[in-house]
Amino acid sequence: MAREFQRGHKARISDLTAGTDLYVGVQISAPGLTFDISCFGLDADERLSDDRYFVFFNQPKSPEESIQLLGAQAGDTESFRITLDRIPAHIRKLSFTATVDGNGQMSQIAPGYLRIVAGGEEVARYSFSGSEFSTERAVMLGDFYFKDVWRFAAVGQGFDGGLEALLKNFGGEVLEEETPAEPQQPQPQPQPQSGAAPGFAPPAFGVPAAPAPAPAPAPAPQGFAPPPGHTPPPGHTPPPAPAPSVHGAPTIIAPMAPPAGGTVPPPATPPAPAPYGQQPQQPPYGQQPQQPSYGGQPGAPMPPGYGQQPAPYGGQATPPMPPGYGQVPGQQAAPYGVPQGAPQGGAGVTAALQAFKETPTGQRWTQQNKKLIRVDLGIGGQPVLARQGSMVLYQGKVDFSYKGAGFAGRIVGNATGQEMQLMRCTGQGQVFLAENSTHLHPVELQGDAICVSAENVLAFDESLQYEVRRVEGHGIPGGALFTMQFQGTGTIVVKTHGTPVVLPVTPTTFADCNAVVAWSAASQVIVSSQVRMRRNAYPGDTGESVNLQFRGAPGNFIVVQPYEV
Amino acid sequence: MNQPLAGYAPAPVTARMENHGNHMLKVAMQTGNDLLARVGSMVAYEGFIQYEPNPPAVRQIARDWITGEGAPLMKCSGDGLLYLADYGADVVVINLNGDGISVNATNLLAFDAHLTWGVERVKGLAKFAGQGLWNTKISGQGWVALTSRGKPIVVDCGGGEDETYVDPDALVAWSPNLKVKGKRSFKAQSLIGRGSGEAYQMAFSGQGIVVVQPSEDSTDRLRFRG
Repeated sequence: MAREFQRGHKARISDLTAGTDLYVGVQISAPGLTFDISCFGLDADERLSDDRYFVFFNQPKSPEESIQLLGAQAGDTESFRITLDRIPAHIRKLSFTATVDGNGQMSQIAPGYLRIVAGGEEVARYSFSGSEFSTERAVMLGDFYFKDVWRFAAVGQGFDGGLEALLKNFGGEVLEEETPAEPQQPQPQPQPQSGAAPGFAPPAFGVPAAPAPAPAPAPAPQGFAPPPGHTPPPGHTPPPAPAPSVHGAPTIIAPMAPPAGGTVPPPATPPAPAPYGQQPQQPPYGQQPQQPSYGGQPGAPMPPGYGQQPAPYGGQATPPMPPGYGQVPGQQAAPYGVPQGAPQGGAGVTAALQAFKETPTGQRWTQQNKKLIRVDLGIGGQPVLARQGSMVLYQGKVDFSYKGAGFAGRIVGNATGQEMQLMRCTGQGQVFLAENSTHLHPVELQGDAICVSAENVLAFDESLQYEVRRVEGHGIPGGALFTMQFQGTGTIVVKTHGTPVVLPVTPTTFADCNAVVAWSAASQVIVSSQVRMRRNAYPGDTGESVNLQFRGAPGNFIVVQPYEV
Repeated sequence: MNQPLAGYAPAPVTARMENHGNHMLKVAMQTGNDLLARVGSMVAYEGFIQYEPNPPAVRQIARDWITGEGAPLMKCSGDGLLYLADYGADVVVINLNGDGISVNATNLLAFDAHLTWGVERVKGLAKFAGQGLWNTKISGQGWVALTSRGKPIVVDCGGGEDETYVDPDALVAWSPNLKVKGKRSFKAQSLIGRGSGEAYQMAFSGQGIVVVQPSEDSTDRLRFRG
């Protein structure tokens, strides 16, 4: 499961994957524009002190090949291979940037992303779109930076001046001869290694890069074909021994079915190498129990014994299963349901439910899936306020207490029919929050402010300051719309029914007051009613006569859900 | 005309039970390998399949369960492909392969008839006078399909000293060898959980897993019983 990053989000790489051999893909496009995507290797002062670590189309790799440009593949406009443990000690930050080649600005770009793929599986994705930018000509998409351990940050910061400004920002005049014009397309140059890139056949690099502290170093030969790239590299065969796949087990939760589900291995394949790039992932089915911790993350700050694979289960799953396993033993021979192999999941309860395992990250707020979020109270040490009844599960010593009348009373006092009751969760432990299968969205505030409709608040850090506001106007049901304005540093979890839409605030942005979920606090809300004598004089109102209009500077946004309360 | 719909054609059968999308279950039926499914869950079938509501043997065992719950089973037999769904809930398919699992009755969609199963009262909860949680314990060699409102999460209890506490309304299934206790949270009187005005959680300890759905809107699981 890929973690979705928003601008400003940070995470340890080790929380995303135990592997250190990463594929970074960038997709960015705009009609009629081309982009130069490059990677700056910066020192501890964030300067480009060594220009051999400016990896771009003219310099496709760093000296020791820890950073390599791979070219366009698998739907990515540009891709890199990063081997974290081979990056020399003086490079402390890798900044991935995209610059417009020629005339154009970042607001024109279509939705794109930066993603991290490890072990053939996408582990992180930061999506962006042109609405987040205006006239910038360059953008810093994301950083790998070293602070105790390697971390990833989704940056999304624009630069007006293009590549020159970026270079200047990173320490100056190096490479000035390259920057002015080089009107070259960022097309993948036919370098030797971009040919060998998709599969990373082992002979391509001499050292098989098997350091990695984790039990799952993910050196697996399939590692580098990103998931959509099912196109098998011609002539590429994984090493025949199934032995390395014990350690090559997927590092996060393994999808028990191959990603696209389309690749059905021929029945009864002996443990010989399968012809696909992805196929070596299969042997771990039967071998799951041997993996000491399912996340494969020894560093995750969890209670002892927490991530252990329980011995009683899985222990029964016989390890040496051939990959083509999955038939109901002895029950075929009927015309209809002749199983053809391709296990949907492995055998046994644990294996079947592997896809739904908890995702361990060392973060305070972790989205487990679209509808469930986990907060680790031990990290950050401050209480969380959550809507009453939203707890579905907790582990550890957590106290739930009533959150005072001061706040709730104010709302109840003001509202006609609207109320919101909170509970305070304190202690040490993990609390899983969900409510009625609504989609949850953690929003991390770093000093900025957001207004959220009161009924769409699920939980928030107590460190946030909040106040209740009402938007009054004729025609709003109940007389007013109650919103909570949050400010400060912390995370707030917003819930929506269905997948919401985020609209930029333009001079003509309107929303139904029943469907609007949140908006950036800097935008101004006006209740607009369409008063038309004819409409009001006759029965048969459209029901859409009262709307909220939003006004604000560019950069503001509103969030609307496909559901009217 | 129907090109956009062509992508939803069933995939070739590869196992006894499979997901078709997230919300539908496809069962490859064979004579002699019957299936017990929730009544009314059939959405389509192909081939020759017969349905027998409430077979007598099942009724006997499930009497207790039915009185409280009203989720009877039907027995499906024949040859063909059977499609089951439960109001758009997510379907989770498990090949037990000798393991056992304890499922809340409302979250059970279908299972192989030859599995060992029984309705049992959850131990430990009975000490609340007049209340108990009833669930179905299934084990053996075969397949089980569960439903979950929203994508479920599987939590490892881990056997540490800390127990795992679950809102009974969100609980789907758990490993039968876990120890279960009821917990009434006195501090948060009537504020956690919903409906009854009493705050209950179930505490699990031991080695095993707990499956939880991201929703609490199903019917009351803790029922009053005489």
